Amino acid sequence: MKVLATYSIKGGVGKTTSAVNLAAEAARTGARTLLWDLDPQGAATFFFRTTPRMKGGAKRMVGSKGALEPHVHATEQLGLNLVPADFSLRNLDLHLDDVKQPTKRLARLLEPLADDYDVAFLDCPPGITLTSESVFVAVDALLVPVIPTTLSARTIEQLAAFLEDLDGSGPLLLPHFTMYDGRKTLHRDLVGSLSRRWPGFCNTIIPSASAVERMGVERSPVAAFAPRSKAAVAFRRLWEETAVRLWGD
Amino acid sequence: MTSRMFTSADAPLPAVLAGLAAQGYEVGAAATVTRTLLDTFDGRLHGAGLRAEVEQVGDRMSLLVTGAGAVPARADVATVPRVVGDLPAGPLRSRLAPVVDVRALLPRVAVAARRRAVTRSDRGRVVVEAAVYDNLTGDTAADALAAYTVEVAEMAGYAQPAAALMRVLVDLGLQLTDGDTLDAARVASGVSAGGFDSSPRIPLAADVPAVEGFAAVLGHLAQAIEANWQGTVDDVDPEFLHDLRVAVRRTRSVLSQAKRVLPADVRHRYRIAFKELGDATGPARDLDVYVLEWSGYVAPIASRAADLEPVLAEIQRRREVAHVQLARKLGTRRAMRTLSAWQRWLADPRAGGPPGRDADAPLGGAVVDRITRAQKDLIERGRSIGPASPGEELHEMRKDAKKLRYLIECFGGLLPAAGRKAFVQRLKALQENLGEHQDAEVHVEQLRDLAGDLKGRGAAVPTLLAVGELVGQLEQRRQSSRDEFTQRFADYDSKATRLALAELLDAVAP
Repeated sequence: MKVLATYSIKGGVGKTTSAVNLAAEAARTGARTLLWDLDPQGAATFFFRTTPRMKGGAKRMVGSKGALEPHVHATEQLGLNLVPADFSLRNLDLHLDDVKQPTKRLARLLEPLADDYDVAFLDCPPGITLTSESVFVAVDALLVPVIPTTLSARTIEQLAAFLEDLDGSGPLLLPHFTMYDGRKTLHRDLVGSLSRRWPGFCNTIIPSASAVERMGVERSPVAAFAPRSKAAVAFRRLWEETAVRLWGD
Repeated sequence: MTSRMFTSADAPLPAVLAGLAAQGYEVGAAATVTRTLLDTFDGRLHGAGLRAEVEQVGDRMSLLVTGAGAVPARADVATVPRVVGDLPAGPLRSRLAPVVDVRALLPRVAVAARRRAVTRSDRGRVVVEAAVYDNLTGDTAADALAAYTVEVAEMAGYAQPAAALMRVLVDLGLQLTDGDTLDAARVASGVSAGGFDSSPRIPLAADVPAVEGFAAVLGHLAQAIEANWQGTVDDVDPEFLHDLRVAVRRTRSVLSQAKRVLPADVRHRYRIAFKELGDATGPARDLDVYVLEWSGYVAPIASRAADLEPVLAEIQRRREVAHVQLARKLGTRRAMRTLSAWQRWLADPRAGGPPGRDADAPLGGAVVDRITRAQKDLIERGRSIGPASPGEELHEMRKDAKKLRYLIECFGGLLPAAGRKAFVQRLKALQENLGEHQDAEVHVEQLRDLAGDLKGRGAAVPTLLAVGELVGQLEQRRQSSRDEFTQRFADYDSKATRLALAELLDAVAP
């Protein structure tokens, strides 16, 4: 099983949108997919119309006797399952701090599911916290949505620097542009300059699109209600690109 | 997500659907669906605990793969995947590729039906789903299939709603049944879940007359030849020709070992016939191997891959021509008559002439003698090969090793499984080395021939230079196999091998 996380230090850059749509695309191409909503906002849980309730809360889930499997819920898309979030995740850092080897806890929770799934997506809350450190240990790759603005560009620098300081080799960094508006000169310029600065940027760019905004109304991934939209096509291509990077041609 | 199937012999479907609606379940509109089970000819997916089916509803097609845990995989596909390479790059292809390898995915059984979804929702999402299939038609008589089936999906996190629906179905007069609708259609069609097993081993008793034992082994090999015949003619995938060719080689090998057992005339006639068949399959198989090994050959000079494309194209062209020629030869009346006559004789192995002198000797003793002699020949030849020996000697040694291997495999029913596998592993290590050497030699020759052809047709200089580099790579490979031979043979020509063989043969009852 490969573990990917949509992660950014900044909020509002499209982490959940990317996680939900890429997970849906992965499942659509035959990957047995798990999406773990780690954000107490529970947006991914909302998009998949699942009740935001974790039996025993986050404390029990990450506790020493906790497990992930009892929390798994099927979505309406075959091959895609979800670990929903609820508001108890706001204290996840505190609960992780209570266990031994907290930075390894998320990886340990995923281990028993490794034979049942081909890919797990972790939809992470923003910020650099103990939870994020635990995510960095658990994942094979970080999918980093980047809106082409100056502030977003700084977050890549900060993240790369932070990962360099961690012991051992960090996960593969897969930044990709989101909410791109080709009419804006700043967007065009920053896409060009950031791609040159960070050659690891994915080639696929996710456009700013009303279809993405409609996800909240439709409560589904974009491909479920607007499969031919530019956004759906872009996520399809982003998944293809990610799959080749991780599983080869 | 697994599913549970319910059927009924007497509860009419309209009443069941009305009963479900009365309980608050939503019954969707009917749509025509076709479900087709896919697997390789030899049932590799089934052997790996997997099941692949293609489902078509209208113009929407998907591939569903189950087994290997509770979570299914479903991929949207534009056409029925024929080979694993037809699937998009990603985890599903990566998962299936080592199982399926170069084999084609073939339709094994299909069922068409009318399908309705039965669902219940809670807070805007479906929490339980069942599929009701009726008007079932398949590759079998209509009355062999149930009038209707209901498959309840067991969705993670929603066990209670699924259990509640199952209770309702029982109350409506349905019973839980094993498998699912497609399984039921497969059983009704008489199609086995696994595929054809080309392995040569059959149960054998050491005390049966040798002629009957040999005929049983040859009969089993004849089944493998017949089973792989049409797939070879149609060039479905390279393994059909490979398995046909191996069955023919094993047949030839057993015939050569059948002196004094089978009637001399029969043996002579069919040794010639199977040699012709073996020779006919050679060119196409060599080119198949070339295409299969190509990426490995080119890898060390990957920067020249583009220059070598015309070479690969020519190899593929020659491969297609060779396969067309092979199909023609296999399709002749003579070939078909030979195979039929062979099968008729195998049904009565004492016909066709005076029996061999040892026809009634116990099979066990006859086989032990032959294995012992084959091992002796192999060791003697191996010991006679030195650094200056011509390549032809290694080729002959490869044949000796095959003779021994085929004896052990074909008469493996007489030998204890653990000891046989251990001994074959030792022999395999030697055979792999000899095989690498032989393949590299053959491919170097073919490349030189091909280069001449390409030059005559005005191929670009970079292409010819790249061919030269490739020949160099293959020569290195050949030489390195040659250099390794001494150690590989020394490992084989050892006390451990002698003990392993002795243990194996001592276990054969006299």
